[in-house]
Formats: sequence, C-alpha cells, structure tokens
Amino acid sequence: MTKDRRYGNFSLLTSFGLLLLFLCQQVSLAAVHHQRISGSAGDVLEDNPVGRLKVFVYELPSKYNKKWLEKDPRCLTHMFAAEEFVHDFLLASPVRTMNPEEADWFYTPVYTTCDLTPNGLPLPFKSPRMMRSAISYISTHWPFWNRTEGGDHFFVVPHDFGACFHYQEEKAIERGVLPLLKRSTLVQTFGQNHHVCLKEGSIVVPPYAPPEKMQSRFIPPSTPRSIFVYFRGLFYDVGNDPEGGYYARGARAAVWENFKDNPLFDISTQHPSTYYEDMQRAIFCLCPLGWAPWSPRLVEGVIFGCIPVIIADDIVLPFADAIPWEKIGVFVAEKDVPNLDKILSLISPEEVLEKQRLLANPAMKQAMLFSQPTLPGDAFHQILNGLARKLPHDPQIYLKPGQTVLNWTEGPAGDLKPW
Amino acid sequence: MKKVTGSSHRLARMRSKNRSGFNSEQASETSFRLMPVSHFRVFIQCMFCIGTLILGFRLTTESSFLKASFQNPEDPFTRISARTDSSASTGTESQFDLQLRREFANGSKGSRLAYNGTIVHSSGGVRVDVGRHAILIRPWPHPDPFEVLHAHHLIKRVQLEQRQLYGSKESKPIIAITTTFVRTFQAVHLTGLLHTLSVIPVPVTWIVMEAGGVTNETAHFLSLAHVHRLLHLGFDIPMPAGLNERSKLEAQMRVEGLRYVQKEKLEGVVVFADESNIHSLEFFTEAQKVDWVGAVSVGLLGFAGFEESPQSGIVHVHDGRVEARENHILFAARQAAAAPRFEPQVQGPSCDSNGNLIGWHIFDPLPLEGEVHKGMRAAQNRRLEWANFVLNARAVWKTEGNQPEWIRSWDEWANPEDGSTPDIKAIVRSDQWVKVLGNCGRKVLLWWLRAEARADSKHPNKWILDESLEIIVPAKSTPWPRRPVRRAAPPPPAPAGGTGTKHGAGSRVSSGKVRRPKRKQDQTNVS
Repeated sequence: MTKDRRYGNFSLLTSFGLLLLFLCQQVSLAAVHHQRISGSAGDVLEDNPVGRLKVFVYELPSKYNKKWLEKDPRCLTHMFAAEEFVHDFLLASPVRTMNPEEADWFYTPVYTTCDLTPNGLPLPFKSPRMMRSAISYISTHWPFWNRTEGGDHFFVVPHDFGACFHYQEEKAIERGVLPLLKRSTLVQTFGQNHHVCLKEGSIVVPPYAPPEKMQSRFIPPSTPRSIFVYFRGLFYDVGNDPEGGYYARGARAAVWENFKDNPLFDISTQHPSTYYEDMQRAIFCLCPLGWAPWSPRLVEGVIFGCIPVIIADDIVLPFADAIPWEKIGVFVAEKDVPNLDKILSLISPEEVLEKQRLLANPAMKQAMLFSQPTLPGDAFHQILNGLARKLPHDPQIYLKPGQTVLNWTEGPAGDLKPW
Repeated sequence: MKKVTGSSHRLARMRSKNRSGFNSEQASETSFRLMPVSHFRVFIQCMFCIGTLILGFRLTTESSFLKASFQNPEDPFTRISARTDSSASTGTESQFDLQLRREFANGSKGSRLAYNGTIVHSSGGVRVDVGRHAILIRPWPHPDPFEVLHAHHLIKRVQLEQRQLYGSKESKPIIAITTTFVRTFQAVHLTGLLHTLSVIPVPVTWIVMEAGGVTNETAHFLSLAHVHRLLHLGFDIPMPAGLNERSKLEAQMRVEGLRYVQKEKLEGVVVFADESNIHSLEFFTEAQKVDWVGAVSVGLLGFAGFEESPQSGIVHVHDGRVEARENHILFAARQAAAAPRFEPQVQGPSCDSNGNLIGWHIFDPLPLEGEVHKGMRAAQNRRLEWANFVLNARAVWKTEGNQPEWIRSWDEWANPEDGSTPDIKAIVRSDQWVKVLGNCGRKVLLWWLRAEARADSKHPNKWILDESLEIIVPAKSTPWPRRPVRRAAPPPPAPAGGTGTKHGAGSRVSSGKVRRPKRKQDQTNVS
C-alpha cells in the first residue's frame, strides 16, 4: 500500500515537474515583442553620462549663434538643426559646469550651417572663416584653447561633409578638414571610412529629424506591413547631374532602372502626404546615398520600424560603437544594387523578425532622436556618452607652455580673411 | 553654339545652379589654383572643345564607347556611361572634362599611394572615387517570379508575427450575410466585397442570398472568393425596382439567411455585409468584440445633396420620441459662411461621455423638390440599416442559445404577425443592451456607397462585349432621387447618379416619392 502511494507521489512529482518545464518553454517561445540591444561595446546605449563628464560652454558673442537664428528661423527645422539643439541642451544639462577648470570638454557654440539660401540650403562658403574667427575669439579670451590647441574641445559640424565645409565632394576632399580643427573632436553627421572628411575620433550623429512631427503620425502596430520595399526621393538630380552617374555614384539611378516595374518596390519621386504612414506599412526602406552618404531616411526608418537597407559603400553610421547596425539593417554594396531584389527576398524570415524586434526597442528609437524636451537615452545623451568614452584625455594633448602645433596660416587663402 | 569657358567654372556652376548665393570669389580662387596644374591638360581640353563643336554632343558617346570597347568584355552588366537626351546639352562638356579630371586624379592618386609620408592634403585616400560612375543595369531588369514568391512568403510571415503580437486575441469566425441580385452594378459591388472577405484572417462563412434565384453570373463572381465556406442561396422573388420595396425584400432575405444560421447552428459573429458597403479590415476585428448585439457607425457616400450638409442636421431618436433639430442658428451661420464641401454623413449609435448608448444618428436626406418636408414623421419612419448591427450567432438560435432574456426570441422579431418588415433593431428589447463598437461609434468602420444604375439598365454578360453595339441610348434617371431642394454649387462629377445618368438631360423627379420613370419611348433593346 505504502509502496503504491510512494510510487503515486513520485509520478505526481515528475509529471508536475515536466508540466513546469513545458510551461517555461512555452513562455520563452512566446512571441517576444522587442529585444535588448547590446552593442559592440556592451550595453552602452542605456548608459547615463551624467556624473561621468563635465562640459564647459563658451559664451560667444551672438553673431556666432543667436543672430543667425534671428535672421533665419528655418535653421531650427532643417536636417542640420543638430548644432542648435545641442547648444540648447548643453546650456541646461546637468553635465554643464560653470567652472572651466574642472571641465573635461569644452564646447564652442558656432552655427556654421545657418547661412541659408532662399531655398533653404546652407551655404558653407563663409563657414571656415566663421569657425576660424570663433576659435581665435576663444583662444584670446580663455586660456584653455592654447593649453591643448583644441585637444579637449569639441565642435558640432552637421554639414554635408562635416568640417570640410563644402557640399561638393571633390571640393570637400580638396579642402580637407579645417586645419584648426585638426586636434579637436568633431560631432558630425558625415561618416565614411577612408575619407578625408571623417577625422579619427569623430562622433557620428544622426541628422536632425523633428521628433514631434514623426511621433504624431504613428499608426496602430497591428496594421499589416504590406509594402516590401519603400523609397521616396530623387533618382536623378536633374538640376545638377541630369545624365546621372555623379549623383549617388549612380546607385540611385541603378535602383530606378532595375526596379521601376517591380511590384515589390514601391519607389517614386513623388512625395506623398502619407509618407510616414507608408513607412510604417513597409518592411524594408531604402537608404541610398545621395550627394553625401548620410540621410534622414535612416532615422525615419528606425523610428517607424522599417528595416533600413543601406546602400552606401564604407559608410559610418551614427553611434556605431553603441548600436550594432549590422544586426539591425541590411547593407548592400553599390555594385550589388542590380541584385537588390534577390538579396532582399532571400533574407530568411527569422532574420527579418529579429531585426524588427531590435528596431522595436524603444531605446533604439530614442537614440536616434533629438527629443524636445530631452529624454534619457536620446541622441544628446549618446553624444555625451561618446564623449565620456573618450575620457580620460591622453596626457599628450596637453602642450607645454609656448608650444604650438597648429599652423594658423594653413588652408586656402580665402579662409584667412577675418569674419 | 555654347561659349567655351574654363572647365572649373562649369564644374562649380553645375552644382551651384540651384544655390543663388554663389560666390564668384570662390570660383576665381579655384580656377586660380588649377592654373599651374598642367598646360597639357588645357591643350587637351581645347582640342576636345573644338571636337565637340564640330561633332556635336556625340563626342561624349563616341569616346565612352571607345573606352568601353577596351574594357573587360566579361562584364555582365551593360554600362551606361552616357545618356544622350536633350537635357544633357548643358552638361556634356563639363562631364567630359570631369571624366578627364577623374582619370587625372586617378593617376595622381596612384602615385600618391606610393608616397608614405604624412599626407597633409590627400586627394581622397584609398577608396574615394568622385567622378562619373556607371549606372549598373542587369541584362533583364524585370521581376523574377521566384524572388517575388520568396518576398511574398516573407511578407506573410511578417504579417503573421504582427497579428500575434498586436492583433486581437479573439478569433471568432465571421458569418457574412449578403443580399445580391444580377444587375449592372453587381460586378462593381460584389468584386470589392469578395476580395475584402477573402483577406480576413479568421474563417469566414459567406451566405449569399440572391433575389430571383441562383444565377450563373453571381456564381461566377463567387467562385473567385477564398472563404472558408460559401453558401449561395436563391430567393425566388425577383428584386423590385423601387428603393423602399427593395429594402423590404432585402430584409426578408436576410432573415432567411439568419434562418440558415439558426438551422445549422453556426457559431461566430454575424455581420451584414451588404455588397454596396466598403468595409475596412478593422471592422472585422472590432466585430469580434461583440457579446450579443453590437452597433457600429456606417458612413454614407453619395446621398442626394452631398455637396453641402443636409438641412436636417442630426436628428436624435430617443426611444420613439424625436427630439428637435439641434443647433439651428449655428447651422444657418455655418451655411452662410462656408463654401459647399463634402461632409460625410454617418449613421449609427451615439454615446454620452460615459460610453453608454443614448441615441442614434439617422440619415435624413434633404427633402426633394416639390416635397413638403414632413418634419418629425419622416425621421421617425427612417430605420437603421442592417449593416449597423453585428450579432453573436447564438442570438438567433432557437434552442440551446442560452440567450439572455433581453433578446427577443426568433419568432417574436423575425416573423412579425402584422406582416411588416422585420427590423433588426427589434432583436433587443431595449437599447441599453446594445454594445457600441468602434470607439463608441466615433470611428466609421464601413461606408455605404449609394450608387446604383437604373433598375432596367443592361449590361453585357460577364462584362465582355462579343460584338460591337449597334444602338446605344443613354438612360436618363436612376432609382435614387436626384435633386434636393437647394444647391449652393454645381454638383462635382461624382458617382452620385450612377453611370447610367451621365448624359441625363435633366429629367425632373416631380414628386417626392420614388416613382418608376416613364420610359416607354426610351425602351430600346441592347443585346
């Protein structure tokens, strides 16, 4: 009798245990909403920079910053608006210090991308002179520039080719990075490997995209994603390069020529009013290069959960040391563009779902936005994280008194004129 | 003939065409910098400029053809390095010059690569290649069916995942009851409906009641539907032409459909999917939320007088008592101020702030020419459409339904003793038990397209014309009443009248009632 009971208890226990195991497995197999992002340097996306660094903001005369905004308020809404918003953020941030002696980093608020044409495009012709003038101002009014010749200073240069200050790639390469900024850290949107205009140690940030505008256009996530590939934009820059071949190194024209009659590719130059909504109904969003390799489409794709297909050789994506872009996006070489449909349709469904889960992570979306008001983990904090990761400074940047490294007369003659 | 100027000017001008702030200083600077580069290059430029002047714009094509012919023949792609269209006229020379420059730059790059010192001003490092690239096009740039198939599998998998994550957890089967009959616009309406029902993710039982018996035309349409179960039932009485009689017959047909549900004891959610309705897929997910009886808002498209808000505004019907029209002054002021615009009319439940049903919005069209508006009585006669209601299939079961006592039994409401038309609203004893769906009626989930051809208009079988038509006579009026009392602007070209009335020479509808038009003289047989 007891033997039977013991046997009964034992079998009961084992069956209960098996049931528990089964349930646990079920729970883990259930559809996961989103996945944590662990970047190449660990889970640095969610780091908090407050307390890890101190930034001193120089007080420049308003002709370097505020005057430009008064002249043209469009600077706050175009894709180069990062320089204005970083300035605003730092003025109110807890990492700001009023005591420059204890500062790790020094920020110079000069809006070099705010000289706009009537069409809204920024002219970079005066920017080198403006930057030079700003640097000479801070070097004469504060001793900190001369201490390191800019080694612990950082500048925000969100223009097409960063601190090369030109919109044409050839001219930009010829000019190179402004010689006075050689030792400073540059926060820029441009990033391309083996390129003159990407200085060693620069922090690549996403272009500015208006957060409220995008966040007000969400559609319910249960809306089925029925568009396979989505793209809206120019294929041929008819004004500057009518035959094609220069614009986007021919990649955008190749996309159009190969896939204009493909029903899976919803591509066009017509910009619809439902652009944001359409992106949320698409699985893949093309992010090809234009005149410069970066574009706001990457930000839009990440916000709306559309897997970015990046067609730009050697591009360096924003916050590449914190965000594992290979796991999130699809990279296609420019020479493989004619096979784009094959490449995309042969991606396994598990991989696509994995990427969508990573994109659904709110930390990911937050990191791409310059949120107003600032939120933890947004692009501002990622910039500060990047700066914090570069600390402590290499003691070699500190120059001996009287030692100078930079040549102030270097560069094209036109840059040397005072501004 | 274009003036030949320095290539650097062209280069700069090419890019800065759209930028009006171009600084001439910069241009002269750059040209100044390039002068000491090479005289040989300038010479070559001059030679080619002269050559272009003589040969015209084909020089670029010729030279690139020559270049291509010396390239690797195993290249699988056609390299388009020049496009000869007229828009290239301004750019030809500079493009060629740029090509030259690129080759020059390549050459200099090659020598620079060997130089190991600190390059202060490098022309691009290892892999930057600014210049003209070829536009790669594969030999047959059209979609490949296997890839399309793969892509569709991918899309399906992604959508399945979306449904699992975000979709509603309930998946009750849908029972759609539709009434139809063979007529000109049947193809228009039925095709849309069948495709909608085919993509609903839950199993769909489609009960199609056809007036006038089962016909081959309808069966042909229904064969295209992908539903779980399709029932094509015939109703022997043919559909009358008048609107009122039509709605009465439709009600009877729907009751027949419900009788089928009752007989077979089908489970799920009963939806009255009229063929002239446009459903959004959200409607079917909302319908899953119903307990016993639910009400949704239906938008109306194409009612008479849609170019301005109907005079009646919104009429609330509270349990039989009709309240006075609201906002009379406001309405008049609005009318005086606003230009005529399309305001969609919505018929359905209305809630108070707590979400409880307090009344119904009923469509009350503008009074027609010559008709004295009957005021409250007209509104009272209006009924809600069957499409406004969604039922739990168990509500119509006779036995084993376990219906709550506030649902009338089948015999009570479906077969009224006085012979009047059964009304779906009569299935509940009082309004308070009706569940309002779609964000308390504020979200319009389906639209009723009131567009219909004439009752006796002809159409070719399966919409295929075997031989050309000999005599074509335009029809003149539609079953829907056409002209309202007031019109602020001429009516926009819209399907309000149906295709049959495009050439209508203003036939007047004299009395308010819909009457059969006098057409003896127009009767022409179009075979």
